[in-house]
Formats: sequence, C-alpha cells, structure tokens
Amino acid sequence: MSNDPDKVWPTGLTLSEAEEVHSYLIDGTRVFGFVAILAHILVAVTTPWLG
Amino acid sequence: MLNYKRFAVGKLASLGTRYLPFADVASEDVPLSRLLRLSLFQVTVGMAMVLLVGTLNRVMIVELDVSATLVALMLALPLLFAPFRALIGFKSDNFKSALGLRRLPYIFKGTMLQFGGFAIMPFALLVLSGYAEAVDAPRWLGVGSAALAFLLVGAGVHIVQTVGLALATDLVPEEDQPKVVGLMYVMLLVGMIVSAFIFSTLLENYTPGKLIQLIQGAAVITILLNGIAMWKQEARNRERAAAPASDMTFSTAWSQLTARKGMVRLLVIIALGTAGFGMADVLLEPFGGQVLNMTVAETTRLTVVLAVGSLFGFGLASFWLGVGSRPIDVACYGAAIGVPAFGLVIISAINLMPSLLVIATLAAGFGAGLFGHGTLTATMRSAPREQIGLSLGAWGAVQTTAAGIAITIGGVIRDVMLVAPGAGASAARPYLPVFALEAALLLLAVIVAWPLRRRSIAADRAIAVSDGA
Repeated sequence: MSNDPDKVWPTGLTLSEAEEVHSYLIDGTRVFGFVAILAHILVAVTTPWLG
Repeated sequence: MLNYKRFAVGKLASLGTRYLPFADVASEDVPLSRLLRLSLFQVTVGMAMVLLVGTLNRVMIVELDVSATLVALMLALPLLFAPFRALIGFKSDNFKSALGLRRLPYIFKGTMLQFGGFAIMPFALLVLSGYAEAVDAPRWLGVGSAALAFLLVGAGVHIVQTVGLALATDLVPEEDQPKVVGLMYVMLLVGMIVSAFIFSTLLENYTPGKLIQLIQGAAVITILLNGIAMWKQEARNRERAAAPASDMTFSTAWSQLTARKGMVRLLVIIALGTAGFGMADVLLEPFGGQVLNMTVAETTRLTVVLAVGSLFGFGLASFWLGVGSRPIDVACYGAAIGVPAFGLVIISAINLMPSLLVIATLAAGFGAGLFGHGTLTATMRSAPREQIGLSLGAWGAVQTTAAGIAITIGGVIRDVMLVAPGAGASAARPYLPVFALEAALLLLAVIVAWPLRRRSIAADRAIAVSDGA
C-alpha cells in the first residue's frame, strides 16, 4: 500500500471518491426513507392500526 | 505498538476487488455469460411493462372498479417521461465521477426509483379504489399517490433501459453489437412472457393481499435482478475521472446528433415503423375474439405467436448483421414484411379465416423483430463512442413515444368507429381502419428508409473502391 496523501484510511479511496460513494448512500437513504414514509401513510389510511 | 493499521490495509488489499461492484479491467473480449447476466436488466423492464400495461390495467378496471379513463391516464403517465431518455443518455455520457463511473450510478438510481414506485403502488391503488377504511380518504391522496407510483416506475424503467443499453454498447466491439442487441430484445421478450404467465397464475383468485404481495414481489425481484445484472460490469476509468468536467450542453450535443447525416431520417423511420407495428398490439386479442370468434385461450395464443415471430426476427437479424448485412437493409425488410402481413389481417377479417390471422400475426411479429433489431443496431453504429448514451436515449425516446401514441390512436379509432353510425353492419369494421393505417405507416417507413439505404450502399462502395486503390 502506497502512502498517497490523498488516500483515506482504511478504504484506500481518495477523499473525492469517498465523498461520491457517500453521496449515493445519502441519495438512497433519502429516496427509500421517503418511500417508506409514504407507504406507511397509505397503509394507515386503508387499514388503520393503533385505534 | 500494534501495527493494526498496516494489518487492516493489508487484509483489505488481499481481499482485492473481489467484493466490489466494479469490473477489474475493461477487457477486450466479454464472455457471453457476462452479457447474459447484463441482459437481466431487460427482464425487469419487461416485467414492469407487463405489470403496468397488462396486469394492473385489468385489475384496476375489473377488480378495483376504477374508471377506465382514470386507468388510461395513469398508465399514460410513464410516457410523459419518455422524451427525457435522450437527456438521461446525454447526462450519463458526460457524468462527472471521482470513481470514474458513468453508467452504474444512473442504473442504481433508476433501479431505486423503480423499486420505490412498486413499493407504494399497491397501497396507492387500494386507497384509490376506496378499499376498507380508505372510502373516507380524500380523493387527491389516492389519485396523487397512484400517479406518483406510476411516474416513479416509469422514470425508473426509462433510466435503467437507456443507460443499461448504453453500458452494453460500451462493453462490446462494434462487430459484436448485433449479437448484444438480439440478446437484449430476446431477454425483454422473455421477461414479458415469463412474468405475464406468473402474474396471471398468481392472480387467479384475486385478493387485495395477493395484489400487494405480487407488486412488492416485483419490486424485490427488480432490485435483485438489476443488482446481479450490474455487478462487476462497468470498469472504473481513471482517465475519465481525472479529466475536467465537460462543458458540453445538451442542446449542443443534440444539434450535433441531429446534424449527423441520416440521423433525423433514422429517427423518423423508427417512429413510423414502431407506430405501424405497435398500433394493434392491444387490439389483436379483442379483434380475434369479437370478429373471428376465437376463444380466450386462442387469442392468448395469438400473442404467443406474435412473440415467437419476433424471436425468429431477432434471431435472423442477429445472424444477417453478424455476417455483415447493413442494419438499415434489415430494418427495411422488416417494415416491408409488415405491409402484406397487415393486408393479410384485413383479408382474414373479411373472409373470417382465423388460420390466416395466425399466419399474418406470425409474419407481423417476424417483421417487427427484423425492424426493431435493424434500427437499434443502426442507432448504435451511427454514434461515436462517447455519445452512445445520447443516441440510445434518442432511440428510446422516439420508440416509446411513438408506440404509446400509436396504441392510443389505435384504441381511439376503434372506439370512435364502434359508436359511428352503421357500425353494427359488421364486427370487423371498427378494426379494419387501424390495420390499414398500420400497413400505410410501414409503407411510409420503407419509403423514408430507401434513400438512407441507397446512401449507405454508395458509402460502402466508396470504401471498397478506396481500399482497392
């Protein structure tokens, strides 16, 4: 393993690469979170639980 | 002092790239198994199409009792997104990524949208139809969430298919492209047939619970198959990652594309031919049933015959193009076969001959296969490597829009003729203008394609002459 100053421990990605991977993670969380919330609202409208 | 850092790094390095979703190298020859795996994304696209146009179309009208107009509007929503295919293709061509990827991120996002749409779709439909407690739900909630679900699935399908095809084109050298196009079409067809069969078996006895299971099952399968398809396909390109961001705008790229010789003509041919072949897709079964008195099983078999014809078309086109035929020729032959095929359909209606209709359907499917394969291969070949996404996006935009408009026009013509005065005279009357229009559109496609064909023959001769000199 080289000691490239751009590379971040422990993955060996550079900072911008790591940020890009992270951006996909954030995107996914946002979209799936939104979808999950909406799906729960719709289910609660059809068959309400908790009263 | 424990050298844990060195230990961890060494461990990671020895794991290598085995568990990373990138290809190790952009190898010259891609084995067939890898292409087969890549083509799985077409299976999910086919599945989504069948679910929307076939299964849900019926379930919403028959079981959920939603008005036919609202259903038609919902199913047309994904079409609104079709023209954006060109933009998606362009964006993926010029995607700025530190990782040196350009197709994978888009396929990931497209898959995510498709999954999200499927995840909320069953509940949105139940709210829309006023199931259980949802009778009191405000109208906008049902309509809005169902529309959103259809939009998400539509957008996802458009993105996955456009960028997936671009990735496939990236992977193979030009002489193998016909093989890949054939494979992609066959897998789309396989996905549609297999999922239509599975959906109809699962929904034999409809319950709301089964509908939820079915659609969410489709969502999970979408993620799984697309994941398997994309794994280790795209190589990371460090040069592209290091290069400065391109300042090319979409309008410049688009005008470059349309300025290329024959490109606009090719797109017109694709629109005409797709409209010609696609117009009767949903009318064929009611036509067989109402006019030729075929049973449900027989009309379903008509659809299978159409698919078998297309399979033969794809196969033969792959073979011809593989031995060096010109794509535009193959497309021309396909459209030319379609003209007499739809003529035969009309004759079968007048003489009430179901066997003739079967032969005509087989011929129409065969022509559609040749035409589809020829035009897609022509599109792939007409673009320089760095603009593949844009041209495939243009192909998809034109193709999907034309098919959608054609199906709508076909349905409208039939419905108008049904209520027109004197419509009771014969059961065939509402359908005949549709088939006649199809034949006319295909004839027009051949006429438009002819100069392009002559030009490509002349270009080949010029190359042959300069080689000989």
